[in-house]
Amino acid sequence: MTSITSITEILAELLLMPMIAFICGLVMVLMYRKIAARLQRRIGPPFFQPVYDIVKLYSKDTQISHGLIHDIGIVVAVGGYVAAVILLPIPGMDGIADKGGIITLSYFLMIPSLGMALGVGQCANPNGSIGISRALTAMLAYDIPFIIVVFGVATHYQSTSLVGMIEYQQAHQWGIFEMPLLAAAGLFTLQGMMGKHPFEIYVAPAEIATGPMVEMSGKFMGGLFVMQSFQFYVASVLYVSLFLGGGSSWFDFLLKIFFVVEIPMSISFLFPRYRTEDMVRIMWKWPVMAALIGIAFVI
Amino acid sequence: MNKLENIPVQAKSDKKRTNPLARVFDELIQFCQSRSMFMLHYCTGCGAIELPPAMTSRFDMERLGIQPMVTPRQADILLVTGYVSVKTLKRVLLTYEQMQSPKYVIGICSCTVNGGMYWQSYATAKVLNEYMPVDVYIAGCMPRPEAVIAGLRRLMSNIENGKGDAWKDYYKRYDYYLGNQQHLFGDDWQTPVDVIGEAKFYGLEGEETYGEHTKILEQHQEPLEAQVMRVKL
Repeated sequence: MTSITSITEILAELLLMPMIAFICGLVMVLMYRKIAARLQRRIGPPFFQPVYDIVKLYSKDTQISHGLIHDIGIVVAVGGYVAAVILLPIPGMDGIADKGGIITLSYFLMIPSLGMALGVGQCANPNGSIGISRALTAMLAYDIPFIIVVFGVATHYQSTSLVGMIEYQQAHQWGIFEMPLLAAAGLFTLQGMMGKHPFEIYVAPAEIATGPMVEMSGKFMGGLFVMQSFQFYVASVLYVSLFLGGGSSWFDFLLKIFFVVEIPMSISFLFPRYRTEDMVRIMWKWPVMAALIGIAFVI
Repeated sequence: MNKLENIPVQAKSDKKRTNPLARVFDELIQFCQSRSMFMLHYCTGCGAIELPPAMTSRFDMERLGIQPMVTPRQADILLVTGYVSVKTLKRVLLTYEQMQSPKYVIGICSCTVNGGMYWQSYATAKVLNEYMPVDVYIAGCMPRPEAVIAGLRRLMSNIENGKGDAWKDYYKRYDYYLGNQQHLFGDDWQTPVDVIGEAKFYGLEGEETYGEHTKILEQHQEPLEAQVMRVKL
């Protein structure tokens, strides 16, 4: 009997967690656009603007699909994040986080970029190809410090389970106080992971016409908008779980994730963008250095 | 993947809709379409100078849900902001045909309405809606940002009331538009987009989709093939 209740509980969580992630992600997208508007002394979009955009994109009358891989690529891109979401514990719901752990999660976080590369590859648009090659180079750039940070955090807690890490932090002290260097490197990596300025070279609207998104119309673009909202959510919840002690209550949790996601968003409108090779250079220099010194302290 | 039949997207059919909430969904969709418009500005001529103030902090289009996009695939509105020379018109048409429906065209400045100060020019296409269906004209030389925003609001209310369907006209009366295009560009004019095929696929054919001009097109039409990408070494 207990097994049946636990199975239904997990199934309910697998449904609920992506929904919560999507709603939080939409609010984050709104926040991103509002911050941009306020920094530029504008009013900014109305509250439901992200919803309007997605409904409109999905209700286009004509669509151009460039083939099966183009369709599947977008599904893979969104699905990668949905899979990542159910590995991230939130207050009251663990999903399959205690079975997955952070190593599975860091693999899942690579899937969206690869899915997008598949989809864009079939569009055969030169701008898209340039964009996706830049995006994959950028992924290589931020994944090295990210993996070092993950390795350091796992070494410190002697565990790869996010649930265990959060319990430890809530019992003792937040990770940001115990490993400040790793937390700083993690924040730097977050900026690259979210693909915001100054690490936004693969989108570059004026130069390569939004890169990977160049041939996306209607539903495909809608899928990418959904993906973006998941991306904000996953990046912020991961950081909160690793360094800010997860969420003990919903209020606490939401406050933390919105605070974390607000930092890269505010920074992003203050800088122009780095070129790809400069991005690789800066990502492999400063965050990697900080993370390695941080690991030395931890060990 | 060049044949339209192979595209794995369902066309809208005229089947009787059984969902009792169909009307509600339609209204929701129309509302969302009117509140979220991605704009592609084809900045010809001088009207383009009035768009930056309309987009930035003084008038801020984004509060109406209008934001600039950079490729025709993503865009909903095509803004043509000034005189259209014959050479430019070809590019405008290529851009327009690549956009995904529902798509809207706004002609800004007097030059798109009747040629404006270029009325006597031999190289300028005078009336824009002879070559593509135009939803809203914003007259003026040049219209102020207030006028641009008033025009966009007019388009919004048209879409919300279900009147923003000028794009269907391009499929239903393709022969007329193609005739005017051929008059300017010559009989061998052909765009990479197979408009007749799209009209067939999406069920948007009208009586005037075919005619004498489409017959001329069929004689010259080269079959669409994927371009081969080559690197010259």
